[in-house]
Amino acid sequence: MRRLLFLLAGLAVISLIAMGPGSGGLQPANGAAMAGKTIKIGVDLPMSGGEAPNGEPTNNAVLLAIDEANKAGGYKGMMFEEVLKDDAVNGVHDPAQGAKNVQELLADSAVVGIMGNFNSNVGKATIPITNAAGVVQISPSQTNPGLTKPEFGALDVRKAHPTQINYFRVCPTDDLQGPVAADYAFKKLKLKKVAILDDQETYGKGIADEFAREFGKLGGTVVSRDGIPKGTQDFHAILTAIKAKAPDLLFFGGVTTTGGGLIRKQMKDVGLTIPYEGGDGIVEDEFLKVAGDDANGSYGTVAAENAEKLPTAKGFLAAYKAKYKSDPGAYSANGYVAAKIIIDAVKAVGPDRAKVRAWVANLKNYKSIIGTFSFDKNGDTTNKIVSVYTVKNGKWEWLDQINFTL
Amino acid sequence: MDWNLLVLQLINGLTLGAIYAVIALGYTMVYGIIELINFAHGDVYTAGSFVALATLTLLGATRHMAAAALAFALIVTFLAAMLIMGATGVVIERFAYRPLRGRQRLAPLLTAIGVSFSLENILQLWMGPSPVPFPQVLPNPFFNLGAVGVGQMQLVVIFSSIVMMLALHFFVQGTKLGKAMRATAQDWMAAEIMGIDINKTIALTFFIGSVLAGAGGVITGLYYGNVWFINGFRAGLIAFTAAVLGGIGNTTGAALGGFVIGFVEVMTAQYVGFQWAEVTIFSVLILVLIFRPTGLLGQQLPERT
Repeated sequence: MRRLLFLLAGLAVISLIAMGPGSGGLQPANGAAMAGKTIKIGVDLPMSGGEAPNGEPTNNAVLLAIDEANKAGGYKGMMFEEVLKDDAVNGVHDPAQGAKNVQELLADSAVVGIMGNFNSNVGKATIPITNAAGVVQISPSQTNPGLTKPEFGALDVRKAHPTQINYFRVCPTDDLQGPVAADYAFKKLKLKKVAILDDQETYGKGIADEFAREFGKLGGTVVSRDGIPKGTQDFHAILTAIKAKAPDLLFFGGVTTTGGGLIRKQMKDVGLTIPYEGGDGIVEDEFLKVAGDDANGSYGTVAAENAEKLPTAKGFLAAYKAKYKSDPGAYSANGYVAAKIIIDAVKAVGPDRAKVRAWVANLKNYKSIIGTFSFDKNGDTTNKIVSVYTVKNGKWEWLDQINFTL
Repeated sequence: MDWNLLVLQLINGLTLGAIYAVIALGYTMVYGIIELINFAHGDVYTAGSFVALATLTLLGATRHMAAAALAFALIVTFLAAMLIMGATGVVIERFAYRPLRGRQRLAPLLTAIGVSFSLENILQLWMGPSPVPFPQVLPNPFFNLGAVGVGQMQLVVIFSSIVMMLALHFFVQGTKLGKAMRATAQDWMAAEIMGIDINKTIALTFFIGSVLAGAGGVITGLYYGNVWFINGFRAGLIAFTAAVLGGIGNTTGAALGGFVIGFVEVMTAQYVGFQWAEVTIFSVLILVLIFRPTGLLGQQLPERT
């Protein structure tokens, strides 16, 4: 018994040292770090598993931004360097792993800011940590509104410093993405009855909620709403149940690996031949691989403009293709911009965590390859463009984009 | 009540249950003979899909092959997956479980979890961390029979599973080797005294269980058109539940348990809400364990010292 108590006490001490705010690892970079040769940018993305096709092209773009900054001389002779962490466990993004990664990144005093993460539920776990430490975190792709907007519960993730914004994102949120998907289905595709499935994760459930709200507002009917148990492979039963309700659209909130691809594939197995729509979680090559020939005719939204259509992104696209011999991913341009903001902040105020955060929080009319934008009082971009894609001949093709920028 | 819909869902439940049943058989046979929950079994099933995928790719099988060539390719694929998985099962037993036989139960249980992780990681290294498309060599048209309908692959899954279950039943009940297995399960010491080579018999049990899992892997690969190294985890957990539900150690019970869970899952999807599927499955398990701790068809195992 006594030994157990000692053990527990020991664990408590260790966890206090590891997690307590103000402990050694979380001090802002100061003079000592300045003397070092490199300025580090922490990156946390899903780099392995079914989501590597998301993480890799985003990370490539970050590396490109760092390369360019170093070729231009770095900051006062100091070079920028990436510290990459993978938050996928067994092939799926994992909030606990993300939190652990971010703590490790923060423990390195040379890390001035963090670019990431990719998935919204990972952000729910990591933002409280970076918020407590007062370190800037910029995401290319997390679209759940609850990460920034107080009316969606964002104050819960920034309890330590509710008014000091440290988390920013360069993509618009699902309270825009969901409605765009609903608008497109209802107005352009003239579909009036929808069945909704979601993967019960932060992102999937969130975008499905926003879709349902807007679809109802437009006068459409939501005939069914179900969640998917984690790891499900067989969707025949739920698709049969959905078919019996005779919807003319199936909307899926989630990502390919949580069911997005298999559902599309199995719709045909039960004779359900209606259009299929999802959020940015399915607009990726992985979806095409999993759904195979059945992917054709699917629709998806992406909370970003199509970089190929932007005159400002031409240089970036050329550089990316030259370096990696492949096309960038849906969030590559955003990843590049997120990393570039941190680099520009360091160039403006030096490698100091507090100053970098303050500089980013006051970012106004920032000229980037994805357009000129500012961060609002919650850390959201004022650049609000959502694109709609469809699968044609086994490839995602850009259809339309809707601009909410005021 | 929409009766047509109920029939459709019963077909879905039968298909899903047949898959769970085939995997559950492997769990229950191993438990019956050495009282080990072989957590690696779900991953053996997924490995079966991977071997099938590799074989079909090697043979260059496509849907547009001549029927005879396709039939040949499928037979080779089934044989390869079943034999390789059977051998894998024997190797796992020989090197991971046999050295621990007779030790306290926790040791082989932890080893089983370790073997499960090892298999998953081997599969991940082999075919990569993403889901891999499985060649769709069999067309899967949906037959609309008026108000109800059935997919062709569903018929294949149900039919082949039932054939496997019957074959196992006749093997265990009707052959000398089956009799040796039953004797070892009842009391391995007495069986050994009677001249049964229990090492061989236990290896045979692993072989047969893994052969079934391998065949199951081929069938689901063809059915879902997709394999992922992590699939065995959920499938294994649910099949294990099916085995406990039916009465662990009892092969008929495992088959019954598999079908019961398949039906519970589809009925939940239809009438309750899909997100509750696992809640209802495990609630049924808890209820059965409270009121019938030995499972639906459970056998009373003698206490061993």
